[in-house]
Amino acid sequence: MQVLSKGIRATQLYLPNNPVYQRAVDNIRAAFRQIWQATDDLVFDVGETEMRWEDNVVYSQDQRNESIAWTLFKDGVRSLTFRPGVEETEIVRFLGVLQQARNLQADAPDDLLTLLWAQDFQFVAYTFRELASENAVPIEKGETIPSTQPTDIRHHVQEEAPPKREGLVSIDDFDTTLYFLEDSEVDYLKKDVDREYSQDLRRNVLSMLFDLLELQTYGTVRAELISIVENFIPYLLGAGDFRSVAYILRETRAILQRAREIIPEHRKTLEGLPGRLSQRDALSQLLQSLDEAAMHPTEEELAELFQELSPEALPTLMGWIAKLHNERVKDLVQAAAARLAQANAGEVLKALRSEDSGAQLEMVKLAGRLKLPGAPDGMEPLLASSDRPLKLAVVEALTAIASPSALRLLERAIDDDDRDVRIAAVRFLASRGYRNAAARVEAIVSGSKLRNADLTEKMAFFEAYGALVGAKGIAALDKLLVAKGLLGKREAPETRACAAMALGKIRTPEARAVLERAAQDKEPLVRNAVTRALREVGA
Amino acid sequence: MLYTAFRSLKLYPVENAQVQKALDDLAQSTQHLLDVEKELELRMQGEFIFVNSTRLRLDLDNYASFSHILGVLRQCGVGAVRIDEGVERKQLQIFVSLLLSYAAKEATPNKIFELGQKLSDAGVTHVGVEPPLETDEEAEDEERQKEAAKRTYARSVAVTKEVINSIRMGRTANVKKVKRAVQAIVDQVLNNEASLMGLTTLRDYDEYTFTHSVNVCIFSVALGRKLGLSKLQLYDLGMAALFHDVGKSRVPLEVLNKQGGLSDEEWRIMQAHPWLGVLTLFGLRGYGEIPYRGMIVAYEHHMKTDLTGYPKSLRGRDLSIYSKIVAVADGFDAATSRRVYQTVPIQPDQVLKEMWENPRRGYDPIIVKAFINLIGIYPVGTCVILDTYEVAVVHGANPDVTHVHRPMVRVVTTPEGGLVHPGFLVDLAQRDAQGNYPRTIVKVTDPVKYGINVADYFV
Repeated sequence: MQVLSKGIRATQLYLPNNPVYQRAVDNIRAAFRQIWQATDDLVFDVGETEMRWEDNVVYSQDQRNESIAWTLFKDGVRSLTFRPGVEETEIVRFLGVLQQARNLQADAPDDLLTLLWAQDFQFVAYTFRELASENAVPIEKGETIPSTQPTDIRHHVQEEAPPKREGLVSIDDFDTTLYFLEDSEVDYLKKDVDREYSQDLRRNVLSMLFDLLELQTYGTVRAELISIVENFIPYLLGAGDFRSVAYILRETRAILQRAREIIPEHRKTLEGLPGRLSQRDALSQLLQSLDEAAMHPTEEELAELFQELSPEALPTLMGWIAKLHNERVKDLVQAAAARLAQANAGEVLKALRSEDSGAQLEMVKLAGRLKLPGAPDGMEPLLASSDRPLKLAVVEALTAIASPSALRLLERAIDDDDRDVRIAAVRFLASRGYRNAAARVEAIVSGSKLRNADLTEKMAFFEAYGALVGAKGIAALDKLLVAKGLLGKREAPETRACAAMALGKIRTPEARAVLERAAQDKEPLVRNAVTRALREVGA
Repeated sequence: MLYTAFRSLKLYPVENAQVQKALDDLAQSTQHLLDVEKELELRMQGEFIFVNSTRLRLDLDNYASFSHILGVLRQCGVGAVRIDEGVERKQLQIFVSLLLSYAAKEATPNKIFELGQKLSDAGVTHVGVEPPLETDEEAEDEERQKEAAKRTYARSVAVTKEVINSIRMGRTANVKKVKRAVQAIVDQVLNNEASLMGLTTLRDYDEYTFTHSVNVCIFSVALGRKLGLSKLQLYDLGMAALFHDVGKSRVPLEVLNKQGGLSDEEWRIMQAHPWLGVLTLFGLRGYGEIPYRGMIVAYEHHMKTDLTGYPKSLRGRDLSIYSKIVAVADGFDAATSRRVYQTVPIQPDQVLKEMWENPRRGYDPIIVKAFINLIGIYPVGTCVILDTYEVAVVHGANPDVTHVHRPMVRVVTTPEGGLVHPGFLVDLAQRDAQGNYPRTIVKVTDPVKYGINVADYFV
């Protein structure tokens, strides 16, 4: 028993490939082999704290959580028998069952006896206390039918004979081969059994519930059915059965369309089901469990569920995208969000107003990817944000959307505090030839704002100036590039190079003429810029 | 291997390559087993085959082969085959050929001895045949099985009653007890189905609802076993069967127990019991896992195979095989029972005839066929008149399925009309020395007419 006890401990602590576990099992096997040399079976009486063999205590353990005896006793086992052969494979399964039984919750539907029974042991036997025996009525002889006289019996028998065979099933109806069913019939049954165990039981039961919900017009019945469906959803989510949840939401829609006499209260509850699942807390739970799950559902399963989410799920989905670690889940969430965003402009604006900057950022990116025309309305406040990545994403999204309202916002962004935001905005506006921004660009180019700017920013603004102001700007640019001041001093080489690049964007003979005059400038920076600008202007 | 050898030898001459291969395989496996076990004993007990005391497991993939082997050996009157070390392929070939030829001959009590002699004459020294065991120990074992069956039945009814009453009163039902009851029924059916099946003839043991649920569970499990379901599958089936009418716990007792015809409204309430069962099972506290299979069976067992029964189904569905099994078991037990609104039960053979011949009843014909093969065309408990002017009660289907019309019966009257108790068991398939059947059923009759309480012969 000590060896067995160690075996249980090893089962509890180690994996089957662990040498300690394997040694423990080997020891048990060796112990049994020794025992079988002396006896044909090993029968133990099971007590609360001890086990007896032929009235001798061979195992005792007062600590219940450690005790094999208690594990067996508490679930009703009163004797345990091992027979030769148990050591081959069954002992390992037996140890596993004991371990499993110890881990069962008090209210678990199964107990040790069920676990033992399911194993169908051939070399382990046990007796147990019957739970039901106290209420069972012994079976005794039935009611007394008044005894019939032998003469009457004889008379009746003779009356009934000679035989009439009506009413009997004809033997000809049956196949009297030894296999009482034909091969095709066995195949049919086999397929049916296979189908029984491969079917989606939950879907089957849900299908019943929705049939009932549709056909049973009684209010109390519907109320009970709706309550079952409502309570079923968290259970299914917990079990990772997303497809069934999607099925519930889909069928709920069908019921709302088809079922007769749904009272307003039930209609409201049913209509609210997708919304409840899309609420922030519920959806966050779902996304968290998905991200943390060891086993992931298939894309189809998740897609089916996300397909059923209501628009209010959008802000929550957006907030979770950055937090998700699982790329597959992330892709699916993005796809679901895209679907919702495209169909629900209002929810997009809500998501852009979210207090979660992560959600805002993802929404901005998504709006840009999807080129959602209504999104710029919600992006305006974001341009005033102190969150630099967010502002840059907004600019990028606005450039992608490129709607009139997006361009208006970009025009304002060229005055932004952030250099990158300004550059991105002005470059895009230039590339789109957005002349409305010309005045603002001209003011910056001719003002002092660029004085301390780096070359990249200066260049961006000058190029935008050339692109947006066009020929009207040649004179000013000529002055910057070629002319000397009162003291015969020219502008700084950086400014002159920028002016050259701006002229390159104007692409007129006049602009070319100005550039050609500066082609031999002594300043290498200017000369290079002029050469590049001339290439852009063309011959 | 043995089955393949039987089949191929039956179909082809011995020199055929397929036969030779089958014999090679048989010899090889036999040798392999002998290397380990030194001696092989193939023993038939009931419907099981034991190899050196280990019962071979039946499942859907092998039960037809088992049935075939059992049939061949029974027809030869063989109860056990012994094979010793030193057996050669040639001996196995002769043994298999002789078994097949003797199986085809008319049954005589001396068949096994003739077979033994033939084996010896042919020099088959390492294969021996023995008649079936019929010892006091076996009789005692049968008595023990009968007592165990009675205990199982009584406990199952008690548990069912407790659960249904708990549900009626809104109390927590002890599902562990139900599981234990179903496990016991499965064990009992696997060990000795006849003793438990006999108890389904009990009338007025307890309220119909409870005994009916247990009877349907027993019939379903027995039928499932006949179909080759595994032990755990039988358990699933048994659980679903025991709960098939659980919805009736929500049907008002005045409707459930009403004598006479039901009004339209009452009938509508009764017809709600399948789906009420689903709702009840959802609410059955104590169930950790949701009993989906039980719900499906409760819901579908009156639907009929063409879905024209009740409840109506809007969303397409294929009936579960368990629903089809339970439907047959339910239909049979309900029709053969005495209930408040059916004081005269219908004779079992009439019920089977209706189930088999009337497609509008909506039973799966293959399941009905299997059921008839399980309980025989004269089901357990049927009262019959024999051509000897004796009255008998059917004890069980003949284990030899070729004698489906010649069940095992308990003769309960003398030819002169005297009632005898407990009577004596007779296998109607057994012939006398002249090859005639001494007793043959000539008519099914009503036991009440003869003052016979059928269940008394099973208790």
